[in-house]
Amino acid sequence: MTCPFLDYRRESEDRAFETPRAYCTAAETFVQPMRADVCNDRYDLVHDVDCEIYAAHADERDDAADAARSGE
Amino acid sequence: MSYDRYLRGEPVIVTAALTGGVHGKETNPNVPETPAEIGRAAAEAEAAGAAVVHLHAREDNGERAFSTERFQAVTEAVRERTDDVIIQHSTGGTAAPTDLRHEPLRTDPPPEMASLDMGPLNRQTTLTSENTRATIDSLYDEMAERGIKPELEVFNDGHLNEVYGLLDRRDLGEPVYATLIFGTGTLTRPRPRNLLNAVDNLPEGALFNTLGFGPHQLPLTTMGILLGGHVRVGLEDNVYYRRGELATSNAQLVHRTVELAESLEREVATPAQARAILGL
Repeated sequence: MTCPFLDYRRESEDRAFETPRAYCTAAETFVQPMRADVCNDRYDLVHDVDCEIYAAHADERDDAADAARSGE
Repeated sequence: MSYDRYLRGEPVIVTAALTGGVHGKETNPNVPETPAEIGRAAAEAEAAGAAVVHLHAREDNGERAFSTERFQAVTEAVRERTDDVIIQHSTGGTAAPTDLRHEPLRTDPPPEMASLDMGPLNRQTTLTSENTRATIDSLYDEMAERGIKPELEVFNDGHLNEVYGLLDRRDLGEPVYATLIFGTGTLTRPRPRNLLNAVDNLPEGALFNTLGFGPHQLPLTTMGILLGGHVRVGLEDNVYYRRGELATSNAQLVHRTVELAESLEREVATPAQARAILGL
């Protein structure tokens, strides 16, 4: 399961890309490619173990999941 | 003595690390990510004076890719746009399984060179790029089988011991070529004395390449030129041209290095000269 804070976006307030990129809705920033492997739980990486941003925002994860489901 | 190589005026090999896989356009929009962008960056770097290009592959969204297929697309894009530059594939990959890290060695044709990380290093909070001896041997053996020259990446002084260990276990052939790497975390602290120390502790006859991350790229590569070593620059290692000013391209960083080398009366190696120096 990917991180509930992960979203793929083309734009943020100050950035725009041709291809949707990994965006952390907790940190409100595009994430670096190696960190995106953590967000996506690739290889043996697990976001709830390997991401300090997730750990700091874990109590908000249900809200993030609801927002993702409703397309907010 | 490496300084004798400087005094003898031996050419310096400039490697351009074009893209990497840790950061991308979110950090500097000029980081090339697609095969076409990497190919163009390689051509510009070669024109600026780079003899070697160090390559990683990415997915369309900039994320890391290790498959032979993606490396094939990158290497073909580079070959189409460059004249004679030496292609070096990365086999690094924090958290990626060893099997996947072999895939960059399997392009057709294979790269002339490939990186070989000499031991563990930490990333972020919980990640470690393990690079066990078994992994190193396994990657080295496939390089040897395919006629690929290893570039031994020495991230800290402990990895110098691992170079000696690899030389005990395998017949690498001469010259041994090691990249001495300086930065934060598990890397050797980026201090001039530590570069001198690392050079002094290399195996007899080994050649070295100098890699400083971020603000250490300029001072330590300058030292590397003076010490008779070779140098690596590029957006993989440093996204700034000067303090607070993002680099506009890999070629911009290569161009400054070439100017420095020439000011210090060190000829910059052509790809043909680099092949002769490295025994390719």
